[in-house]
Amino acid sequence: MPDTARPARPRRGRLLTQRHPYLLTILVFVLLCGINTALQPTFLLPSVAVSNLSSFLPMTLVAIGQTYVILGADIDLSIGTIVSLVNVIAATIIDSMGGSPLSIVLGLTAGLAAGLLAGLLNGVCVALLRFQPIVTTFATGVVFAGLALWVLPQAGGQVPPAFYEAYAGGVLGIPTVVWVLLGGIGFGLLVRRLRFYHALRATGGNIQAAYQTGLPVARVRITAYVIAGFFAAVAGLVLVGETASGDPLVGASLTMSSICAVVLGGTALSGCVGSFAGSILGAFVLGLINNVIFFAQMPFEWQGLVQGLIILAALSGGVMMARGRADRT
Amino acid sequence: MPVLAASGVRKRFGEVVALAGAEFSLGAGEVHALIGANGCGKSTLCKVIAGATAADAGEIRIDGETVRFTGPQDAVASGIGVFYQELSLIARMSVAENIFLGREPLRRDFVDRPRLHAATAAALASFSAALADAIDPEAQVADLTADQRQIVELLKVLTAEPRILILDEATAALDRDQVQTVFRCIRELKARGRSIIFISHRMEEVFDIADRITVMRNGVTVLSTPTAETTREAVVTAMVGAAATARTAHARHRPGEEVALLAEGLAASRLAGVSFVLHRGEILGFGGLHGQGQSEILRALFGMLPMRAGRVSIGGRPYQPKRPLVAMRRSLSYLSGDRSRNGVLAIRPIFENLVLSLLVRDRRLVVARARLERLVAPIVARLKLKFSSYDAPVTELSGGNQQKVVIGRSLAIAPAIMLLDDPTKGIDMQAKEDLYATMDELCAQGMSILLYSSDDMELLNVADRILVFNAGQVVAELAGENRTEYALYHAAYATGGALADA
Repeated sequence: MPDTARPARPRRGRLLTQRHPYLLTILVFVLLCGINTALQPTFLLPSVAVSNLSSFLPMTLVAIGQTYVILGADIDLSIGTIVSLVNVIAATIIDSMGGSPLSIVLGLTAGLAAGLLAGLLNGVCVALLRFQPIVTTFATGVVFAGLALWVLPQAGGQVPPAFYEAYAGGVLGIPTVVWVLLGGIGFGLLVRRLRFYHALRATGGNIQAAYQTGLPVARVRITAYVIAGFFAAVAGLVLVGETASGDPLVGASLTMSSICAVVLGGTALSGCVGSFAGSILGAFVLGLINNVIFFAQMPFEWQGLVQGLIILAALSGGVMMARGRADRT
Repeated sequence: MPVLAASGVRKRFGEVVALAGAEFSLGAGEVHALIGANGCGKSTLCKVIAGATAADAGEIRIDGETVRFTGPQDAVASGIGVFYQELSLIARMSVAENIFLGREPLRRDFVDRPRLHAATAAALASFSAALADAIDPEAQVADLTADQRQIVELLKVLTAEPRILILDEATAALDRDQVQTVFRCIRELKARGRSIIFISHRMEEVFDIADRITVMRNGVTVLSTPTAETTREAVVTAMVGAAATARTAHARHRPGEEVALLAEGLAASRLAGVSFVLHRGEILGFGGLHGQGQSEILRALFGMLPMRAGRVSIGGRPYQPKRPLVAMRRSLSYLSGDRSRNGVLAIRPIFENLVLSLLVRDRRLVVARARLERLVAPIVARLKLKFSSYDAPVTELSGGNQQKVVIGRSLAIAPAIMLLDDPTKGIDMQAKEDLYATMDELCAQGMSILLYSSDDMELLNVADRILVFNAGQVVAELAGENRTEYALYHAAYATGGALADA
């Protein structure tokens, strides 16, 4: 029923940070770069930058994947355990087949397939069977974590030197990790221009309206989960190259980090508004915070505390914005 | 051959029959008004045609071929476009993104942003004369005014170039100039052979634009005639039912002169200054179209909605409805027909459901069950509430009996004033009759009742006076001999949409 009694006032000139929530994050990013340089004078050297990038890369990838799920107003709490599962599947296949080139191809393919399937399972449960996203992906995450431990009970496995050396090396003079990040950015730029992206944001913004408009909302949500699964898989494979082995617990902390990075990047947990670029920035900020915690020799647990506080702060900001709008919807 | 034909369409929602064999036929290049009173089934029929609701029985034919829609996307593919009364816009997306949602212009599989912008600007241009402020294609829908949003929704439907266009209350928030612009669009579409189903509560608009009028009542089609061959009186009569026009409700209560509740200039969400007096022992009814602020008054009085302005006094003493607890302590009781939201605690025992309000009001640290049982026993007897045990889950009862439990709960605090918010929604006839009898009895004992009902007959039969609402204001008061269906419909529909004159 349209509000006929009281025409809504148009609201203009909202705060700049409200319009572009990631501006604050850019500021924090610059600030953190300064602090990092002070703590670690070599911070700006290309080799150190690349090594920082390679340690932030898994988190950045899952953050990109999580962005699409959250834009659709869903959430994926299993994304970190998908990383673990993909990681141990690839490492185990490569190791058990003796590290031949064929084993590497098979390992990477199987890992990628596992990630896509895990995303598909999440999407089908949430969008077709209409299970509640938080509980569903929490539960599938427990299953994926269990599967990972079943495949490889303890960290280990041998990956041939050719593989991790190639990962640590580069192509055309540019380090492989940079190529992977550029691939993620390219993906984001392409998807942003697809009809799917509009449909995804619409679904996240108002699923009833999107359905009435004739959008295939279930397919859209499933696709978002499959994208998340894909990025989790790439992160899992990157970790095989990074650590040269498999670890069933490697992704444990990535779920929380991914949500935190997405929120930092200005994507609303309520869906519809946000960008993958913001999430990349958010992941870098988180990585730098972790660096500061490391170099300042604070306990490792502080990382979790900081991430938790960031999510709470973002939620309270969202609630306050929603209150400002409440009288108009 | 009609472009669209619906025959024998039936639909039930739980115990409520929304459509009981609706018939509708739409010709090519025809503007066909579909009208009827509250709950006559016209919106449900539109949702069935649009694929948003599945019918229980009946047939929809497009160009003579039977179609079975599994969802709105099928209807969209068949060339049906719907303007939804509650709008189907995404608030946090831009005007351009909303208008072409799902139909964005493409260049090699990618959305062509410049063309999207240009197409939107072109579509908006046709309305620029009727808009005080031009709409920016890149503006967020959340930042638009109500009439601008309505125009965006309209353009979203129009730019899809549907063969069959359903406009459900598409003019409700528009002023005269904007309505004329919409009508110009409708006439252009008609000239190109498109067909339009036009739903509006403004009688003058219907007679202005429609070639044909179909009237529904109680889920069936009662009249379908060319506009030229009928009159407003005949249409209102069809909405009401021929036999019922002369029926006058009886004043069954003897309200005293004593004022139970006085409200002056009440303003809240959807309420723009409402004043009224409720006497002791009186049932004051709130009527009119759905959602004109009737329910909001009751919720504001009970402290569930913030009151922006106005004064209320109960029994001569000023009253500030801050919270429901304050309202209960001033002997107010609120009851909603929306049981799933405001009613029963589904899996809890009947006893807990009955004593809930008592517990909340008294706030005792320790609860003595025996005392509570003594308090609710007479109420259970009065309501003729039957159940196997106080400890059985309330969901064991039928819908009507669950409603009695909720009524019993509000009676338990012995209220002086009851606020009934569409209390009989979805309950059976016998339970309704029992409720009416209870209300009569309570009024005879000096209780006062404010009743909002979406069932017009119920209002006419039960209330002593009826205030007719429109756009958050009282537009008419019906008392005594004036309480006829005819008068109620005239007051509610003839003026429809206050902004028309703004």
